[in-house]
Amino acid sequence: MKYGYYPGCSLKGISVEYDLSIRNLFQRLGVEMEELPEWICCGTLAAPSTSRLLGLATPLWNMAQAVRAGYEQVISPCSACLYHFKAAQHKLHVEPDLHPEVEAVIGLPLNGRPKVVHPLEVLSATEFEAVIRRSVVQDLSGLKAVCYYGCHISRPARVMQFDDAENPQSMDRLLRWAGIQALDWSGKVDCCGANFSLIKPAVVIDLGRRIFEAAKAAGAEAIVVACPMCHANLDTREQEIEAKFNTHYGMPVLYFSQVLGLAMGVPESGLGFRKHLVDPRPMLNTKCRCFGS
Amino acid sequence: MSFTQEVEALSGQRVNLCFQCSKCSSSCPMADWMDLKPAQVVHNIRLGREQVVLNSAAIWYCVGCETCTERCPQGVEPAALMNAARVLAVRKGIQPRIPEVAIYYRGFVDNMRLFGRIHDVSLVAITRLLAGHLFDDLPLALQLLKRGRLGAPPLPTEGTSFRRLYGHVQQREKALR
Repeated sequence: MKYGYYPGCSLKGISVEYDLSIRNLFQRLGVEMEELPEWICCGTLAAPSTSRLLGLATPLWNMAQAVRAGYEQVISPCSACLYHFKAAQHKLHVEPDLHPEVEAVIGLPLNGRPKVVHPLEVLSATEFEAVIRRSVVQDLSGLKAVCYYGCHISRPARVMQFDDAENPQSMDRLLRWAGIQALDWSGKVDCCGANFSLIKPAVVIDLGRRIFEAAKAAGAEAIVVACPMCHANLDTREQEIEAKFNTHYGMPVLYFSQVLGLAMGVPESGLGFRKHLVDPRPMLNTKCRCFGS
Repeated sequence: MSFTQEVEALSGQRVNLCFQCSKCSSSCPMADWMDLKPAQVVHNIRLGREQVVLNSAAIWYCVGCETCTERCPQGVEPAALMNAARVLAVRKGIQPRIPEVAIYYRGFVDNMRLFGRIHDVSLVAITRLLAGHLFDDLPLALQLLKRGRLGAPPLPTEGTSFRRLYGHVQQREKALR
């Protein structure tokens, strides 16, 4: 089965390295996906905060396009987009009276309901364990990482229906299959402050500090994420947090697709480590000598 | 329709299920900044105190992380109630208690109408300009630019689909009122 791929706005802008590394990882693992021929922003929190109808119609317009293009499953690597798609589908499921109203403004039938999945859901399925284990060419067993899931990969459970909302394991499992040490810690599903990075950065700086502190307390050398907003809020604010609280973390924030790609021998040009504000290469070099000296 | 009924209809929630255990308040990552804590917002909605709720900063601090929804033992979704309160505040012309939020959400939807997708550079520049903090994150922006993480905007023609959708939503909502 070929998946539809909805990159979302962040992956076309501030998180280009997530897009790059996801595409390369999936290619390496032989998972076929194609970018949807037509897509618009999912609306995030701005559309539903403006009007309920707009908040439903915007994500569901994208889903109707996916159905029209013939995809049964759509991969959404941004967990905010993922949540807004699934929440809109769920709302129509529990309040079917809204169906005709949304269909009227979209102008396309809403029959068929593509299943939207996070790449973690695709790859953490048991049948991938053997594939991933045998694809590993780079020993990263010295790397100690914590997996940061943030809000929407599995929360709220009644909508997302994947993994455990309070103690998710899918990313930890994937890292372990790739031979990386995934440590247990308390910050897995804490919130990064989302769009407050652009509204009141002080909020994000405070929430980010709690996440870095928890990661440090667990003995982590890197935080591994699966959402562009989690990444942006941690990576771009880390230096400000250090300055404000007079501390030092120097802790790289990596996408799971980058570390898995690295373990599977995808070259640096296909992973985009140099895009990060906290350059992970010096730390990674102490583990695997992947980037020369 | 009373305020309580309006919020319930928009959110699909029943506020009387809440027994004020305050698990939502203790779970909320934004509670430190909120004037009313989530359990108080729920209770004020139940009491029909429209002005208190719609003029609160709390409804705008909610980022929809859904921790409250996940943990509520009564199956209430406080995040959905917050969202409905924001929609009602916009509809009734009430200025958000945090002006930056109003500027940001407005700018976000305008950006979608222009490009169909969010172009982060123009969104941030416009919202910062309107909020009077244009240069706050300039050093950060330069670092991102250097690393090729700030892209050129899409063509405005890309916004055609969203503009059409937005127009249909506005027509529909006008007809219903």
